[in-house]
Amino acid sequence: MNDIKVEVSDLRKRFGNVEALRGASLTARKGEITAIVGDNGAGKSTLVKCLTGLYTPDSGEIRIDGEPVHFTTPKQARAAGIETVYQDLALCDQLSVWQNLYLERELTRFVGFPLLRRREMQREAHRLVSDLAVNVPSVNRPVKRLSGGQRQAVAIARGVMWARGMIILDEPTAALGLRETAQVEALIRRVVDAGQTVLVVSHNFEQVKRLSSQVWVMRAGNVVQGVRTEDVSGEELVGLVTGAIPAVSARHR
Amino acid sequence: MTTTSTTIDTPTNAPADRLRSWGRRLGHEEVWSKATAPVALVVLIIVFTIANPRFLSWPSITSMLADSTIPIVLALGATFAVTLAGIDLSLAATVALGSVTMATAYQAGWPLLLCCLVAVATGAAVGAFNGTFIGWVRIPDFIVTLGSLSLVLGLGLIISQGKPVQIPEAALTSVSIHSIGGIRFNFLIAIVIAVLLHIVLFHTRFGTHLLAVGDNTEAATAMGLKVPRIKLAGYIICGTMGGVGAILLTSYIGSSQPATNTDYLLKAIAAVVLGGVSLFGGRATIFGPVIGAVLLTFLQSGLTLLGVSAFYSPLVIGIVVIAAATLMRGRK
Repeated sequence: MNDIKVEVSDLRKRFGNVEALRGASLTARKGEITAIVGDNGAGKSTLVKCLTGLYTPDSGEIRIDGEPVHFTTPKQARAAGIETVYQDLALCDQLSVWQNLYLERELTRFVGFPLLRRREMQREAHRLVSDLAVNVPSVNRPVKRLSGGQRQAVAIARGVMWARGMIILDEPTAALGLRETAQVEALIRRVVDAGQTVLVVSHNFEQVKRLSSQVWVMRAGNVVQGVRTEDVSGEELVGLVTGAIPAVSARHR
Repeated sequence: MTTTSTTIDTPTNAPADRLRSWGRRLGHEEVWSKATAPVALVVLIIVFTIANPRFLSWPSITSMLADSTIPIVLALGATFAVTLAGIDLSLAATVALGSVTMATAYQAGWPLLLCCLVAVATGAAVGAFNGTFIGWVRIPDFIVTLGSLSLVLGLGLIISQGKPVQIPEAALTSVSIHSIGGIRFNFLIAIVIAVLLHIVLFHTRFGTHLLAVGDNTEAATAMGLKVPRIKLAGYIICGTMGGVGAILLTSYIGSSQPATNTDYLLKAIAAVVLGGVSLFGGRATIFGPVIGAVLLTFLQSGLTLLGVSAFYSPLVIGIVVIAAATLMRGRK
């Protein structure tokens, strides 16, 4: 079991009368892309937010590298090496690319009191963005001046920059066109090749087929099925998500 | 916005590239909103000088700059509230309360420097009150500061019983009278504060976080920023500037002023808008509001010089504010 990066077991989370998670369990292997699919309201986002510390689960366990963790803030999840690229990207539009990349983790130097090392952060941000072959015109440009794909790339670059082991991507290409989607997928592959574990939440079954090695299907707050991506067709995935095909938990675990 | 331009615009680029990037930036909203106040100031100086050449004399300029001191300091404070996508309506009332607490400390026989600290602390306390209710209790800034406006005003009237107190201290009044080469000390103090706040806003982590919270609260939260704490700090800075304004006002007049001068609030917000600070938060400059405050003061003095009745000045300022806000809105 050494190759398991994340293990989620029996996670439950309730918001008032709504049971968003009803005992969801899944695992993600190291150095792989693991996908979570499911319809709206299946609990994907809630699960992800438990992993990133935005929500604290009511019960259940999360293990990172075999160690149980209890995140109550996003900062704790990030301290554990997990970076998240949120669906809405969580970028500050009017801040520059480099300011977004370094947000909350700015480099400072002590001159009586801590001052930002702006030059250094700009240089490093530029280097990173070039290394990832992200087509961002200038790291000094406000994020709002970038295209959808460029913004997505900046958000992923921020994840790559700080992740120590794992990146969670929530609907990474939901708002993108075909060409930009292809670019972002190529970027995600490079990230995995560099040794990161990726957990991707997606609505797009084609994308899941193209990218992932393992798929977990969520329905009504539960993980109802887990399969190796190669063993499942796109139609079967649709069936599993809608419930047209009954889940067979024994099929593969 | 070509897709192959990763190499353009590195921080270490050649001057030619930099020039090109400046050329590209011209026509973007930041440039326009930043240019509004300086350009308007130059135009205004030219117009008033043509109308009356005395406008541009050195004594006239230095006296107008001295007059702009309090508007500058308050505009700096308001900048921090507006950067957070908020507003502080209690700012002018804070000036009144600060001058009252300062006078009360003075009457109790406290040393002058301590009295000044009391004024600053009063401003910081009002800011902390606002920031707490906005940040943690999550009441809209508008409502909180409208409430604290009345609260602070009332407190000032109760403490002072509505009576101004003379503070005949040469050390205090000299700040408004003495000068270096004609530039009065109070204006120099305002500029020093502006430089300090510029460093805070653009060269510290806190400043970046303040901009981030004003820009996108959810993103800031997701990135692990402590949003309520940052809002609190922003409003404390704002209130503190109200306290500093109280000292400068007391120094200028020589006595405390229990009555709120709403003109100050109006001018502060107007200067911030003119200065190109986004009312939706997240985008700010320090230079802009300073120029905006100078501009409004010059405008008022210029109208007086031309013999326009003082009754017209709120009207003119109102028009300028709405015109500026409309200009900014057009470039979203």
